Amino acid sequence: MLRLLRSIERGIDAIIRRIAFAALAGMILTITLQIVFRVLFQALVWSEEAARYLLVWTTFLGAVLAYGRGRHIAVTVLVDALPARLATVARSFAHAVAIVFFIVIAVVGLRYMRLQSFQVSASLRIPMPIVYAVIPASAVIMLIYAVRDVIELAEG
Amino acid sequence: MAALLFGAFFVLLMLGIPVAIAIGVAAMVALATEGVPLMLVVQRMFAGVDSFALIAVPFFILAGDLMSAGKVSAKLVEFADAVFGFLRGGLSIVSVLAGMFFAAISGSGAATTAAVGTTLVPELKRKGYEEASAAGLIAASGTIGVVIPPSVPMIIYAVIAEVSLARLFLNGFFPGVVMGIALIVIAVVQAHKRAYPTGTPFSIRTLLGALRGAIWGLFTPVIILGGIFSGIFTPSEAAVVAVNYALIVSLAIYRDMTPRDVYRIMIKSVITTAVVMFVISTSAVLSWTLANWNIPTIVANAVLDLARNPYLVMLLITAVIIITGVFLETASALIILTPVFLPLINRLGIDPIHFGLVIVVGLAIGMITPPVAINLYVAASITDLPIERITRAILPYLIGLVIVLLLVVFVPMVVGVSG
Repeated sequence: MLRLLRSIERGIDAIIRRIAFAALAGMILTITLQIVFRVLFQALVWSEEAARYLLVWTTFLGAVLAYGRGRHIAVTVLVDALPARLATVARSFAHAVAIVFFIVIAVVGLRYMRLQSFQVSASLRIPMPIVYAVIPASAVIMLIYAVRDVIELAEG
Repeated sequence: MAALLFGAFFVLLMLGIPVAIAIGVAAMVALATEGVPLMLVVQRMFAGVDSFALIAVPFFILAGDLMSAGKVSAKLVEFADAVFGFLRGGLSIVSVLAGMFFAAISGSGAATTAAVGTTLVPELKRKGYEEASAAGLIAASGTIGVVIPPSVPMIIYAVIAEVSLARLFLNGFFPGVVMGIALIVIAVVQAHKRAYPTGTPFSIRTLLGALRGAIWGLFTPVIILGGIFSGIFTPSEAAVVAVNYALIVSLAIYRDMTPRDVYRIMIKSVITTAVVMFVISTSAVLSWTLANWNIPTIVANAVLDLARNPYLVMLLITAVIIITGVFLETASALIILTPVFLPLINRLGIDPIHFGLVIVVGLAIGMITPPVAINLYVAASITDLPIERITRAILPYLIGLVIVLLLVVFVPMVVGVSG
Protein backbone atom coordinates (compact mmCIF):
# COMPACT_ATOMS: atom_id res chain seq x y z
CA MET A 1 0.00 0.00 0.00
CA LEU A 2 2.72 2.41 1.06
CA ARG A 3 4.88 1.46 -1.94
CA LEU A 4 1.94 2.01 -4.27
CA LEU A 5 1.14 5.42 -2.74
CA ARG A 6 4.78 6.46 -2.97
CA SER A 7 5.04 5.57 -6.66
CA ILE A 8 1.76 7.36 -7.35
CA GLU A 9 3.17 10.37 -5.54
CA ARG A 10 6.36 10.35 -7.61
CA GLY A 11 4.35 10.24 -10.83
CA ILE A 12 1.98 13.00 -9.77
CA ASP A 13 4.84 15.15 -8.53
CA ALA A 14 6.63 14.92 -11.89
CA ILE A 15 3.47 15.96 -13.77
CA ILE A 16 2.69 18.83 -11.40
CA ARG A 17 6.26 20.12 -11.57
CA ARG A 18 5.87 20.48 -15.33
CA ILE A 19 2.46 22.17 -15.17
CA ALA A 20 3.63 24.53 -12.43
CA PHE A 21 6.73 25.39 -14.46
CA ALA A 22 4.53 26.08 -17.49
CA ALA A 23 2.24 28.29 -15.39
CA LEU A 24 5.15 30.32 -14.01
CA ALA A 25 6.80 30.62 -17.44
CA GLY A 26 3.38 31.54 -18.88
CA MET A 27 3.08 34.37 -16.36
CA ILE A 28 6.53 35.71 -17.29
CA LEU A 29 5.62 35.62 -20.99
CA THR A 30 2.17 37.18 -20.51
CA ILE A 31 3.39 40.08 -18.40
CA THR A 32 6.40 40.67 -20.62
CA LEU A 33 4.03 40.89 -23.59
CA GLN A 34 1.76 43.18 -21.57
CA ILE A 35 4.64 45.64 -21.01
CA VAL A 36 5.93 45.45 -24.59
CA PHE A 37 2.48 45.95 -26.12
CA ARG A 38 1.59 48.84 -23.82
CA VAL A 39 4.84 50.68 -24.48
CA LEU A 40 5.16 49.99 -28.22
CA PHE A 41 1.67 49.25 -29.51
CA GLN A 42 -1.58 49.29 -27.59
CA ALA A 43 -2.42 47.69 -24.27
CA LEU A 44 -3.53 44.05 -24.29
CA VAL A 45 -6.94 43.43 -22.77
CA TRP A 46 -6.48 39.80 -21.75
CA SER A 47 -3.00 39.70 -20.23
CA GLU A 48 -3.86 40.75 -16.70
CA GLU A 49 -6.66 38.23 -16.37
CA ALA A 50 -4.50 35.43 -17.80
CA ALA A 51 -1.68 36.26 -15.40
CA ARG A 52 -4.04 36.28 -12.39
CA TYR A 53 -5.46 32.85 -13.21
CA LEU A 54 -1.98 31.46 -13.83
CA LEU A 55 -1.03 32.78 -10.37
CA VAL A 56 -3.99 30.90 -8.85
CA TRP A 57 -2.87 27.71 -10.59
CA THR A 58 0.76 28.22 -9.54
CA THR A 59 -0.37 28.75 -5.95
CA PHE A 60 -2.41 25.57 -5.62
CA LEU A 61 -0.09 23.34 -7.66
CA GLY A 62 2.89 24.69 -5.75
CA ALA A 63 1.00 24.00 -2.53
CA VAL A 64 0.81 20.33 -3.58
CA LEU A 65 4.57 20.22 -4.30
CA ALA A 66 5.23 21.86 -0.92
CA TYR A 67 2.92 19.43 0.86
CA GLY A 68 4.65 16.41 -0.64
CA ARG A 69 7.98 17.77 0.57
CA GLY A 70 6.71 18.74 4.02
CA ARG A 71 7.56 22.37 3.27
CA HIS A 72 4.42 24.09 4.53
CA ILE A 73 5.20 26.22 7.54
CA ALA A 74 4.23 24.61 10.82
CA VAL A 75 5.12 25.20 14.47
CA THR A 76 6.67 21.87 15.45
CA VAL A 77 8.63 22.83 18.60
CA LEU A 78 5.93 21.68 20.97
CA VAL A 79 5.23 18.34 19.28
CA ASP A 80 8.97 17.67 18.90
CA ALA A 81 9.39 18.15 22.65
CA LEU A 82 6.71 15.57 23.54
CA PRO A 83 7.61 11.98 24.50
CA ALA A 84 7.66 9.73 21.43
CA ARG A 85 4.26 8.03 21.98
CA LEU A 86 2.46 11.30 22.67
CA ALA A 87 4.15 12.94 19.69
CA THR A 88 2.83 10.17 17.43
CA VAL A 89 -0.69 10.73 18.77
CA ALA A 90 -0.38 14.50 18.15
CA ARG A 91 0.99 13.95 14.64
CA SER A 92 -1.78 11.48 13.76
CA PHE A 93 -4.36 13.99 14.95
CA ALA A 94 -2.67 16.73 12.87
CA HIS A 95 -2.83 14.54 9.75
CA ALA A 96 -6.47 13.69 10.49
CA VAL A 97 -7.36 17.39 10.68
CA ALA A 98 -5.57 17.99 7.37
CA ILE A 99 -7.46 15.07 5.79
CA VAL A 100 -10.82 16.49 6.91
CA PHE A 101 -9.83 19.92 5.57
CA PHE A 102 -8.87 18.50 2.15
CA ILE A 103 -12.09 16.45 1.94
CA VAL A 104 -14.21 19.53 2.65
CA ILE A 105 -12.28 21.64 0.13
CA ALA A 106 -12.56 18.91 -2.54
CA VAL A 107 -16.31 18.39 -2.02
CA VAL A 108 -17.21 22.06 -1.70
CA GLY A 109 -14.83 22.94 -4.54
CA LEU A 110 -16.58 20.52 -6.88
CA ARG A 111 -19.96 21.92 -5.85
CA TYR A 112 -18.68 25.42 -6.52
CA MET A 113 -17.46 24.37 -10.00
CA ARG A 114 -20.91 22.97 -10.78
CA LEU A 115 -22.60 26.10 -9.51
CA GLN A 116 -20.43 28.25 -11.79
CA SER A 117 -20.64 25.87 -14.77
CA PHE A 118 -22.14 28.48 -17.11
CA GLN A 119 -19.81 31.31 -16.13
CA VAL A 120 -17.06 32.42 -18.48
CA SER A 121 -14.19 34.75 -17.62
CA ALA A 122 -14.55 38.45 -18.42
CA SER A 123 -11.99 38.91 -21.18
CA LEU A 124 -10.64 35.50 -22.22
CA ARG A 125 -14.12 33.92 -22.23
CA ILE A 126 -12.75 30.70 -20.74
CA PRO A 127 -15.23 28.61 -18.72
CA MET A 128 -14.70 29.45 -15.03
CA PRO A 129 -14.97 25.80 -13.86
CA ILE A 130 -11.63 25.17 -15.64
CA VAL A 131 -10.05 27.95 -13.60
CA TYR A 132 -11.63 26.76 -10.34
CA ALA A 133 -10.77 23.09 -10.98
CA VAL A 134 -7.28 23.51 -9.58
CA ILE A 135 -8.69 23.92 -6.04
CA PRO A 136 -10.52 20.57 -5.66
CA ALA A 137 -7.83 18.84 -7.75
CA SER A 138 -5.02 20.01 -5.50
CA ALA A 139 -7.11 19.14 -2.41
CA VAL A 140 -7.57 15.57 -3.64
CA ILE A 141 -3.85 15.12 -4.31
CA MET A 142 -2.87 16.57 -0.93
CA LEU A 143 -5.44 14.20 0.58
CA ILE A 144 -3.57 11.26 -0.97
CA TYR A 145 -0.29 12.62 0.45
CA ALA A 146 -1.84 13.05 3.90
CA VAL A 147 -3.08 9.43 3.84
CA ARG A 148 0.44 8.35 2.91
CA ASP A 149 1.73 10.36 5.92
CA VAL A 150 -0.69 8.55 8.23
CA ILE A 151 0.32 5.11 6.93
CA GLU A 152 4.00 6.02 7.29
CA LEU A 153 3.36 7.05 10.87
CA ALA A 154 1.44 3.84 11.63
CA GLU A 155 4.21 1.67 10.20
CA GLY A 156 6.78 3.65 12.17
CA MET B 1 -16.85 33.91 18.39
CA ALA B 2 -13.43 35.54 18.42
CA ALA B 3 -12.44 33.24 21.30
CA LEU B 4 -13.54 30.14 19.35
CA LEU B 5 -11.75 31.31 16.22
CA PHE B 6 -8.43 32.17 17.86
CA GLY B 7 -8.66 29.31 20.36
CA ALA B 8 -9.12 26.74 17.60
CA PHE B 9 -6.33 28.33 15.56
CA PHE B 10 -3.92 28.32 18.50
CA VAL B 11 -4.61 24.68 19.44
CA LEU B 12 -4.27 23.50 15.83
CA LEU B 13 -1.06 25.48 15.43
CA MET B 14 0.50 24.01 18.57
CA LEU B 15 -0.31 20.50 17.30
CA GLY B 16 2.05 21.13 14.42
CA ILE B 17 -0.63 21.54 11.74
CA PRO B 18 0.62 23.71 8.85
CA VAL B 19 -0.30 27.36 9.44
CA ALA B 20 -2.35 27.65 6.24
CA ILE B 21 -4.47 24.62 7.14
CA ALA B 22 -4.83 25.66 10.80
CA ILE B 23 -6.15 29.05 9.67
CA GLY B 24 -8.52 27.44 7.15
CA VAL B 25 -9.90 24.90 9.63
CA ALA B 26 -10.35 27.49 12.41
CA ALA B 27 -12.26 29.78 10.04
CA MET B 28 -14.31 26.82 8.78
CA VAL B 29 -15.30 25.83 12.32
CA ALA B 30 -16.32 29.41 13.13
CA LEU B 31 -18.35 29.68 9.92
CA ALA B 32 -20.02 26.31 10.42
CA THR B 33 -21.15 27.13 13.97
CA GLU B 34 -22.75 30.31 12.64
CA GLY B 35 -24.44 28.41 9.83
CA VAL B 36 -22.58 30.21 7.02
CA PRO B 37 -22.46 28.01 3.88
CA LEU B 38 -18.99 26.45 3.39
CA MET B 39 -19.10 27.45 -0.28
CA LEU B 40 -17.75 30.72 1.02
CA VAL B 41 -14.49 29.00 2.00
CA VAL B 42 -13.61 28.00 -1.56
CA GLN B 43 -14.84 31.31 -2.94
CA ARG B 44 -12.63 33.33 -0.56
CA MET B 45 -9.63 31.01 -1.01
CA PHE B 46 -9.83 31.69 -4.74
CA ALA B 47 -10.46 35.43 -4.44
CA GLY B 48 -7.63 35.78 -1.92
CA VAL B 49 -4.97 34.86 -4.49
CA ASP B 50 -6.76 36.08 -7.64
CA SER B 51 -4.90 39.39 -7.52
CA PHE B 52 -2.62 41.14 -9.99
CA ALA B 53 -0.75 42.91 -7.19
CA LEU B 54 0.27 39.55 -5.69
CA ILE B 55 2.00 38.57 -8.95
CA ALA B 56 4.95 40.54 -7.59
CA VAL B 57 5.40 37.82 -4.93
CA PRO B 58 6.57 34.90 -7.14
CA PHE B 59 8.72 37.12 -9.34
CA PHE B 60 10.62 38.98 -6.66
CA ILE B 61 11.27 35.55 -5.11
CA LEU B 62 12.39 34.14 -8.48
CA ALA B 63 14.60 37.15 -9.32
CA GLY B 64 16.32 36.75 -5.94
CA ASP B 65 16.75 32.98 -6.37
CA LEU B 66 18.23 33.40 -9.87
CA MET B 67 20.64 36.10 -8.72
CA SER B 68 21.80 34.18 -5.65
CA ALA B 69 22.33 30.91 -7.53
CA GLY B 70 24.65 32.52 -10.04
CA LYS B 71 27.73 34.68 -9.75
CA VAL B 72 25.82 37.86 -8.90
CA SER B 73 25.99 37.45 -5.13
CA ALA B 74 29.70 36.55 -5.22
CA LYS B 75 30.39 39.67 -7.29
CA LEU B 76 28.42 41.85 -4.87
CA VAL B 77 30.44 40.46 -1.95
CA GLU B 78 33.68 41.12 -3.87
CA PHE B 79 32.63 44.71 -4.42
CA ALA B 80 31.65 45.24 -0.77
CA ASP B 81 35.04 43.78 0.19
CA ALA B 82 36.87 46.19 -2.11
CA VAL B 83 35.08 49.10 -0.41
CA PHE B 84 35.39 48.19 3.29
CA GLY B 85 37.53 45.05 3.46
CA PHE B 86 40.66 46.98 4.50
CA LEU B 87 39.21 47.99 7.89
CA ARG B 88 39.66 46.00 11.10
CA GLY B 89 36.91 43.38 11.11
CA GLY B 90 36.28 44.44 7.53
CA LEU B 91 34.61 41.17 6.60
CA SER B 92 31.87 41.82 9.19
CA ILE B 93 31.13 45.16 7.57
CA VAL B 94 31.24 43.44 4.19
CA SER B 95 28.61 40.90 5.24
CA VAL B 96 26.21 43.66 6.33
CA LEU B 97 26.87 45.77 3.24
CA ALA B 98 26.49 42.78 0.90
CA GLY B 99 23.22 42.01 2.72
CA MET B 100 22.03 45.54 1.99
CA PHE B 101 23.00 45.26 -1.70
CA PHE B 102 21.26 41.94 -2.02
CA ALA B 103 18.19 43.28 -0.19
CA ALA B 104 17.73 45.66 -3.10
CA ILE B 105 17.48 42.67 -5.47
CA SER B 106 15.67 40.12 -3.34
CA GLY B 107 12.42 40.43 -1.43
CA SER B 108 13.09 37.76 1.14
CA GLY B 109 15.14 37.51 4.31
CA ALA B 110 16.08 33.85 3.88
CA ALA B 111 17.31 34.40 0.31
CA THR B 112 19.42 37.35 1.42
CA THR B 113 20.94 35.32 4.27
CA ALA B 114 21.64 32.42 1.91
CA ALA B 115 23.15 34.60 -0.82
CA VAL B 116 25.54 36.42 1.52
CA GLY B 117 26.22 33.40 3.74
CA THR B 118 27.26 30.88 1.09
CA THR B 119 29.78 33.33 -0.38
CA LEU B 120 31.18 34.78 2.84
CA VAL B 121 31.21 31.98 5.42
CA PRO B 122 34.28 30.11 4.03
CA GLU B 123 36.17 33.41 3.90
CA LEU B 124 35.16 34.34 7.46
CA LYS B 125 36.33 30.94 8.74
CA ARG B 126 39.63 31.23 6.91
CA LYS B 127 40.37 34.64 8.41
CA GLY B 128 39.68 33.43 11.96
CA TYR B 129 36.44 35.27 12.68
CA GLU B 130 34.44 33.95 15.62
CA GLU B 131 32.15 31.58 13.72
CA ALA B 132 28.87 31.73 15.64
CA SER B 133 29.09 35.51 15.77
CA ALA B 134 29.75 35.74 12.03
CA ALA B 135 26.81 33.44 11.30
CA GLY B 136 24.64 35.55 13.61
CA LEU B 137 25.65 38.75 11.85
CA ILE B 138 24.80 37.29 8.44
CA ALA B 139 21.40 36.13 9.73
CA ALA B 140 20.79 39.58 11.23
CA SER B 141 21.80 41.29 7.96
CA GLY B 142 19.32 39.01 6.22
CA THR B 143 16.47 40.78 8.00
CA ILE B 144 17.29 43.88 5.91
CA GLY B 145 16.22 41.81 2.89
CA VAL B 146 12.54 42.52 3.58
CA VAL B 147 13.01 46.17 4.58
CA ILE B 148 15.01 47.57 1.65
CA PRO B 149 12.72 47.22 -1.40
CA PRO B 150 11.67 44.98 -3.08
CA SER B 151 10.05 43.12 -0.22
CA VAL B 152 7.58 40.24 -0.24
CA PRO B 153 6.05 41.16 3.15
CA MET B 154 5.54 44.75 1.92
CA ILE B 155 3.66 43.45 -1.14
CA ILE B 156 1.37 41.42 1.13
CA TYR B 157 0.86 44.35 3.50
CA ALA B 158 0.06 46.74 0.64
CA VAL B 159 -2.55 44.33 -0.70
CA ILE B 160 -4.25 43.80 2.70
CA ALA B 161 -4.09 47.43 3.84
CA GLU B 162 -4.89 48.77 0.35
CA VAL B 163 -2.01 51.25 0.34
CA SER B 164 0.40 52.22 -2.44
CA LEU B 165 3.17 49.61 -2.70
CA ALA B 166 5.42 52.12 -4.47
CA ARG B 167 5.16 54.49 -1.48
CA LEU B 168 5.79 51.67 0.97
CA PHE B 169 8.87 50.59 -1.02
CA LEU B 170 10.16 54.16 -1.15
CA ASN B 171 9.79 54.56 2.62
CA GLY B 172 11.51 51.22 3.26
CA PHE B 173 14.94 52.48 2.16
CA PHE B 174 15.71 54.65 5.14
CA PRO B 175 14.85 52.15 7.92
CA GLY B 176 16.75 49.46 5.99
CA VAL B 177 19.87 51.61 5.79
CA VAL B 178 19.59 52.51 9.50
CA MET B 179 19.36 48.79 10.35
CA GLY B 180 22.53 48.22 8.31
CA ILE B 181 24.36 51.07 10.05
CA ALA B 182 23.33 49.76 13.49
CA LEU B 183 24.68 46.29 12.66
CA ILE B 184 27.91 47.72 11.25
CA VAL B 185 28.51 49.79 14.41
CA ILE B 186 28.03 46.74 16.64
CA ALA B 187 30.25 44.63 14.37
CA VAL B 188 33.05 47.22 14.40
CA VAL B 189 33.00 47.43 18.21
CA GLN B 190 33.21 43.61 18.40
CA ALA B 191 36.02 43.54 15.85
CA HIS B 192 38.16 45.85 17.97
CA LYS B 193 37.41 43.92 21.17
CA ARG B 194 38.32 40.62 19.52
CA ALA B 195 41.27 42.08 17.62
CA TYR B 196 40.08 40.76 14.26
CA PRO B 197 42.57 41.07 11.41
CA THR B 198 42.49 43.88 8.90
CA GLY B 199 41.90 42.80 5.31
CA THR B 200 43.81 43.49 2.13
CA PRO B 201 44.86 47.15 1.84
CA PHE B 202 42.55 49.46 -0.05
CA SER B 203 43.33 49.92 -3.71
CA ILE B 204 41.42 52.01 -6.19
CA ARG B 205 42.28 49.55 -8.97
CA THR B 206 40.78 46.58 -7.07
CA LEU B 207 37.75 48.71 -6.32
CA LEU B 208 37.18 49.56 -9.97
CA GLY B 209 37.75 45.95 -11.03
CA ALA B 210 35.24 44.72 -8.45
CA LEU B 211 32.78 47.41 -9.47
CA ARG B 212 33.00 46.26 -13.08
CA GLY B 213 32.27 42.70 -11.99
CA ALA B 214 29.39 43.71 -9.76
CA ILE B 215 27.81 46.26 -12.08
CA TRP B 216 25.20 43.85 -13.47
CA GLY B 217 23.98 43.00 -9.98
CA LEU B 218 24.13 46.58 -8.75
CA PHE B 219 22.11 47.69 -11.76
CA THR B 220 19.11 45.46 -10.84
CA PRO B 221 17.65 47.79 -8.19
CA VAL B 222 18.05 50.68 -10.63
CA ILE B 223 15.81 48.86 -13.12
CA ILE B 224 13.29 47.61 -10.56
CA LEU B 225 12.95 50.70 -8.43
CA GLY B 226 13.58 53.21 -11.20
CA GLY B 227 10.84 51.54 -13.24
CA ILE B 228 8.35 51.62 -10.37
CA PHE B 229 9.04 55.15 -9.15
CA SER B 230 9.10 56.69 -12.61
CA GLY B 231 5.73 55.08 -13.23
CA ILE B 232 6.91 53.09 -16.27
CA PHE B 233 5.73 49.83 -14.74
CA THR B 234 3.60 48.63 -11.85
CA PRO B 235 5.44 46.76 -9.08
CA SER B 236 4.15 43.43 -10.48
CA GLU B 237 5.50 44.27 -13.92
CA ALA B 238 8.78 45.43 -12.40
CA ALA B 239 9.13 42.03 -10.72
CA VAL B 240 8.79 40.31 -14.11
CA VAL B 241 11.27 42.74 -15.66
CA ALA B 242 13.70 41.83 -12.86
CA VAL B 243 13.26 38.14 -13.71
CA ASN B 244 13.91 38.76 -17.40
CA TYR B 245 16.97 40.79 -16.48
CA ALA B 246 18.26 38.08 -14.13
CA LEU B 247 17.77 35.48 -16.87
CA ILE B 248 19.71 37.57 -19.38
CA VAL B 249 22.52 38.23 -16.87
CA SER B 250 22.94 34.59 -15.89
CA LEU B 251 22.33 32.93 -19.27
CA ALA B 252 23.97 35.44 -21.62
CA ILE B 253 26.38 37.65 -19.66
CA TYR B 254 27.89 35.60 -16.82
CA ARG B 255 26.91 32.32 -18.51
CA ASP B 256 27.00 30.58 -15.14
CA MET B 257 23.69 28.77 -15.59
CA THR B 258 22.21 26.18 -17.92
CA PRO B 259 18.51 26.06 -18.89
CA ARG B 260 18.34 22.96 -16.65
CA ASP B 261 19.46 25.10 -13.65
CA VAL B 262 16.83 27.69 -14.53
CA TYR B 263 14.14 24.98 -14.49
CA ARG B 264 15.31 23.72 -11.09
CA ILE B 265 15.40 27.26 -9.64
CA MET B 266 11.94 28.02 -11.03
CA ILE B 267 10.47 24.93 -9.33
CA LYS B 268 12.18 25.97 -6.09
CA SER B 269 10.63 29.46 -6.40
CA VAL B 270 7.21 27.96 -7.17
CA ILE B 271 7.36 26.06 -3.87
CA THR B 272 8.57 29.07 -1.86
CA THR B 273 5.82 31.17 -3.47
CA ALA B 274 3.10 28.61 -2.89
CA VAL B 275 3.97 28.29 0.80
CA VAL B 276 3.30 32.02 1.23
CA MET B 277 0.37 32.20 -1.20
CA PHE B 278 -1.40 29.21 0.36
CA VAL B 279 -1.38 31.03 3.70
CA ILE B 280 -2.73 34.13 1.95
CA SER B 281 -5.43 32.00 0.35
CA THR B 282 -6.83 30.41 3.52
CA SER B 283 -6.32 33.66 5.45
CA ALA B 284 -8.77 35.32 3.07
CA VAL B 285 -11.42 33.11 4.70
CA LEU B 286 -10.20 34.16 8.14
CA SER B 287 -10.25 37.88 7.32
CA TRP B 288 -13.78 37.59 5.93
CA THR B 289 -14.79 35.93 9.19
CA LEU B 290 -13.06 38.59 11.29
CA ALA B 291 -14.69 41.41 9.34
CA ASN B 292 -18.10 39.74 9.43
CA TRP B 293 -18.08 39.72 13.23
CA ASN B 294 -16.48 43.17 13.48
CA ILE B 295 -13.60 41.69 15.44
CA PRO B 296 -11.04 44.34 14.35
CA THR B 297 -13.39 47.08 15.59
CA ILE B 298 -13.93 45.22 18.86
CA VAL B 299 -10.16 44.91 19.29
CA ALA B 300 -9.74 48.63 18.53
CA ASN B 301 -12.37 49.59 21.13
CA ALA B 302 -10.94 47.28 23.75
CA VAL B 303 -7.42 48.64 23.31
CA LEU B 304 -8.58 52.26 23.30
CA ASP B 305 -10.56 51.64 26.51
CA LEU B 306 -7.36 50.39 28.05
CA ALA B 307 -5.12 53.22 26.90
CA ARG B 308 -5.68 56.36 24.87
CA ASN B 309 -2.15 57.62 24.61
CA PRO B 310 -1.03 56.86 21.03
CA TYR B 311 2.59 56.31 22.13
CA LEU B 312 1.50 53.75 24.70
CA VAL B 313 -0.81 52.00 22.23
CA MET B 314 1.94 51.84 19.60
CA LEU B 315 4.33 50.42 22.19
CA LEU B 316 1.73 47.76 23.03
CA ILE B 317 1.16 46.93 19.34
CA THR B 318 4.92 46.75 18.76
CA ALA B 319 5.25 44.29 21.64
CA VAL B 320 2.48 42.12 20.16
CA ILE B 321 4.21 42.23 16.74
CA ILE B 322 7.57 41.15 18.22
CA ILE B 323 6.02 38.33 20.28
CA THR B 324 4.01 37.08 17.30
CA GLY B 325 7.16 37.18 15.18
CA VAL B 326 8.94 34.94 17.68
CA PHE B 327 6.37 32.17 17.23
CA LEU B 328 5.07 32.65 13.69
CA GLU B 329 6.74 32.94 10.32
CA THR B 330 6.73 36.45 8.78
CA ALA B 331 4.02 36.16 6.12
CA SER B 332 1.53 34.32 8.35
CA ALA B 333 2.04 36.77 11.22
CA LEU B 334 1.62 39.70 8.84
CA ILE B 335 -1.55 38.31 7.30
CA ILE B 336 -3.14 37.68 10.70
CA LEU B 337 -2.07 40.90 12.48
CA THR B 338 -2.62 43.47 9.72
CA PRO B 339 -6.44 43.26 9.44
CA VAL B 340 -6.78 43.07 13.24
CA PHE B 341 -4.75 46.23 13.87
CA LEU B 342 -5.70 48.41 10.88
CA PRO B 343 -8.89 50.00 12.33
CA LEU B 344 -7.01 50.76 15.54
CA ILE B 345 -4.19 52.39 13.56
CA ASN B 346 -6.69 54.50 11.64
CA ARG B 347 -8.42 55.65 14.84
CA LEU B 348 -5.05 56.71 16.27
CA GLY B 349 -4.35 58.70 13.12
CA ILE B 350 -1.23 56.67 12.32
CA ASP B 351 -0.30 56.71 8.62
CA PRO B 352 -0.90 53.14 7.31
CA ILE B 353 2.39 53.40 5.37
CA HIS B 354 4.18 54.13 8.65
CA PHE B 355 2.42 51.18 10.28
CA GLY B 356 3.48 49.00 7.32
CA LEU B 357 7.12 49.82 8.08
CA VAL B 358 6.61 49.09 11.78
CA ILE B 359 5.04 45.69 11.16
CA VAL B 360 7.56 44.69 8.47
CA VAL B 361 10.61 45.69 10.55
CA GLY B 362 9.05 44.13 13.67
CA LEU B 363 8.38 40.83 11.96
CA ALA B 364 11.78 40.90 10.24
CA ILE B 365 13.29 40.79 13.73
CA GLY B 366 11.25 37.61 14.20
CA MET B 367 13.42 36.01 11.51
CA ILE B 368 16.29 35.81 14.02
CA THR B 369 14.34 34.95 17.20
CA PRO B 370 13.89 31.20 17.82
CA PRO B 371 11.93 28.93 17.83
CA VAL B 372 10.61 30.15 14.47
CA ALA B 373 13.61 31.97 12.96
CA ILE B 374 14.14 31.29 9.27
CA ASN B 375 17.38 33.29 8.94
CA LEU B 376 18.99 31.45 11.86
CA TYR B 377 18.13 28.11 10.28
CA VAL B 378 19.61 29.19 6.96
CA ALA B 379 22.77 30.47 8.68
CA ALA B 380 23.00 27.27 10.74
CA SER B 381 22.74 25.04 7.69
CA ILE B 382 25.43 27.04 5.85
CA THR B 383 27.87 27.00 8.78
CA ASP B 384 26.98 23.58 10.27
CA LEU B 385 26.73 25.22 13.68
CA PRO B 386 23.99 24.33 16.19
CA ILE B 387 21.17 26.92 16.38
CA GLU B 388 21.82 27.41 20.12
CA ARG B 389 25.34 28.73 19.56
CA ILE B 390 24.25 31.20 16.89
CA THR B 391 21.32 32.26 19.09
CA ARG B 392 23.65 33.24 21.92
CA ALA B 393 25.93 35.15 19.55
CA ILE B 394 23.04 37.02 17.97
CA LEU B 395 21.95 38.89 21.11
CA PRO B 396 23.90 42.14 20.49
CA TYR B 397 22.53 42.37 16.92
CA LEU B 398 19.03 41.63 18.17
CA ILE B 399 19.23 44.48 20.67
CA GLY B 400 20.52 46.80 17.95
CA LEU B 401 17.64 45.91 15.63
CA VAL B 402 15.04 46.36 18.39
CA ILE B 403 16.41 49.87 19.03
CA VAL B 404 16.06 50.62 15.31
CA LEU B 405 12.48 49.28 15.45
CA LEU B 406 11.65 51.66 18.30
CA LEU B 407 13.06 54.52 16.19
CA VAL B 408 10.87 53.41 13.27
CA VAL B 409 7.84 53.36 15.59
CA PHE B 410 8.35 56.66 17.38
CA VAL B 411 10.42 59.03 15.22
CA PRO B 412 7.61 59.64 12.67
CA MET B 413 5.22 60.27 15.59
CA VAL B 414 7.59 62.67 17.35
CA VAL B 415 8.33 64.69 14.23
CA GLY B 416 4.61 64.74 13.53
CA VAL B 417 4.34 63.02 10.14
CA SER B 418 2.21 60.24 11.63
CA GLY B 419 0.00 59.82 14.69
